[in-house]
Amino acid sequence: MSTAKRSVPFSLSRLGIVAGNTFLEAVRQKLFNFLLLLAVALVASAQLFREFNFGSSELKFIADFGFGAMVFFGSILTIAATAQLFFSEIENRTALTLLAKPIWRTEFIFGKLLGVFAVVGVFCALTTGLLLALIYNRETALIEAHPEAFEAGRLIHYGDLLMMGVLQWLKFGVLAAITLLVASFSNTNLFTVVMGFFMLVICHLQYLARDAYSHVTALPLRLLVQGLGYVFPNFQVFNLADQIGIGQGIDPMVFVRVGGYALTYIAVFGALAVYSFSQREI
Amino acid sequence: MKFNLARLRPLLTGSVVVTILAVTGLVVRPLEAPAWDWVRARQPALKLDSIQGALGQGLTVGLLGGFRAIVADFFWIQTHSVWEDRDLPATQTFIKLVTAIDPRPLFFWINGSRMIAYDMPNWRIVDSGGYNAVPQAKQRLIDEEQATIALNYLKEAFNYHPDSALLHVEVANIYLNRLKDKTNAAEAYRRAALLPNGPFYAGRIYAELLRKLGRKQEAYDWLKQTYTKLPKSVNRSLGISEFTVDSAMAPVVLERIRELEEELNLAEEKRFVP
Repeated sequence: MSTAKRSVPFSLSRLGIVAGNTFLEAVRQKLFNFLLLLAVALVASAQLFREFNFGSSELKFIADFGFGAMVFFGSILTIAATAQLFFSEIENRTALTLLAKPIWRTEFIFGKLLGVFAVVGVFCALTTGLLLALIYNRETALIEAHPEAFEAGRLIHYGDLLMMGVLQWLKFGVLAAITLLVASFSNTNLFTVVMGFFMLVICHLQYLARDAYSHVTALPLRLLVQGLGYVFPNFQVFNLADQIGIGQGIDPMVFVRVGGYALTYIAVFGALAVYSFSQREI
Repeated sequence: MKFNLARLRPLLTGSVVVTILAVTGLVVRPLEAPAWDWVRARQPALKLDSIQGALGQGLTVGLLGGFRAIVADFFWIQTHSVWEDRDLPATQTFIKLVTAIDPRPLFFWINGSRMIAYDMPNWRIVDSGGYNAVPQAKQRLIDEEQATIALNYLKEAFNYHPDSALLHVEVANIYLNRLKDKTNAAEAYRRAALLPNGPFYAGRIYAELLRKLGRKQEAYDWLKQTYTKLPKSVNRSLGISEFTVDSAMAPVVLERIRELEEELNLAEEKRFVP
C-alpha cells in the first residue's frame, strides 16, 4: 500500500469508480430491492392505515407513518448494505486484487462509503418523493372537501418534508460511516451488523447519559460520561419529523446546523475507517 | 520473556479513534447544541426527568420514529379488545404500553384514564359479588383506589402535555365524579379555565363548585372577571365564530352573577354592570 501511495497520487476518479461499482453492486442485491419495495409499499399504504389513527391529524399521521417507514427500513438497509458490500470484497478476495493495484486504501474506503451513501440516497429520494405526492394528493382532496378548514392555506410545509428527507439521508450517511469503521477492524459480517445496530441504539440514547451524569458530584465519573457523550454522535438531533404539519415547521438554521453536524461526522468516521483499515492485514 | 510491541497496536488504534471522536464531539458542539435545544424544546418525550421513561421514549422516538403512531394505534385496538373482555390487568398494562410507545395523542391518555377510573371499579365490584353484595365502604375504597391510579396516570400525561386544558378537566372530573372531592375538582377546573385553550365550561363549573363549597364571594368575583372576557358576538376577523359565542354562554354567566348578587345580598350600587 505504501508503494501505491508513493507511486500514484490520490485520485478522485478512482474513488468514483469504486463508488460506482459499490452502487451497482448494491442495487443488484436482493436486500436493497426488497427493503426498498417494502418501504415504498408501506409509505403508499399510509393512506389505508390512516383509518387506524386515533391521535393526530390525518395529514400528520401520513407524514409520521411515511418517515417511520423510512427511518426503520433505511437503518436496516444502511447497516446491512455497508457490512455486506465491504465483506463481499474481503471474503471474495477481490479486495486483495484491488488493493494490489495502485489504489489508495482511502480511495477504497471512501469509494465504498460514497457508494452506500448513493444507495441510501436513492432510497430516501424515492420514499420522500412518494410521501410528498401522497400528502399533496390527500391535502388537495381535503381542501376540496372542507375548504373552510384551509382558509389560511395549506397546512403542510412541503419544504419541511424535503428537509426531513435530506436529514434522514445524512443520518444514514453517518450510520454508514460508523458501520464502515466497525467493518474496518471486524473479522465477520455478522459482528459488524450487530455492532452497527448497537451503535445506532447508543447514538440515539447518548443524550440520556449526558443528562443523567451532568449533575453527578464525583468529578472523574462526570468527566468520563461527558467524554463518552462527545465520542458518540447524537442521533436524536435528526428527529425533526414531529414538527411537520404543526406550528411553524422546521427552522432552516436548525436544518443547516444538523446538516453540517452530519457532514462533519461522515468525514471524521470515514477518515477513521481509513486509518483503522490501514492497520489491517488483509 | 520478550515483550511484543505489535500486540499493543489494536489498543493504540482504538485510543486514537476514541480521542479523535471525542475531539470531534467538542468541535461540533457549537453546531449540535442550538439544534438539539430546538429539537428538545418541541418534543417533551425527549426531556423527561425519569431515566426509565426517557430511555423508553429515546428508543421509540429514535428507532420507530413516526412508526410509533401506528404501533401505538394497533396496541390501542388490542386495549379495546381486552377492555371488552373486562380483563383488568391486561387492560391496565395495554393502556400504559400504548402511552409508553406514543405519548403524543391526548386521546390515549384521556380514554385510558376513563377506563381506569370509571370502568375498572365496576369490574372489581362485579367480580367481588356485585353492588348488592359488596358493602358501600368497600365500594368507596375501590373507587378511591382506581381514581388514584387514574390520577397518577394523568399526572404522567402532564410531562408530555403540560399546557393541555383537557387533561386538567379530566383530573377535575375524576375528583368530582369518583372521589366527590369538590375542593380539588374546583382547583383543577380553575387551572383548565386559565389556560389559553381552556374550554369555557371549565370556568363556569369552577364558579358553581365554589358556590356549592360556600365560597360565594370568590365565585362572584371569578364570574365577573370571566364575563368581561367572554366573546358576546360573532367577529370573523378575530376568529370568533357562532360556535365560540354559543360555547361561551355569556347570558348564562350573567344570570349566575345576578343569582350570586341576590345570595350575597349586594346593594344595588355594588352590583356588576356589564
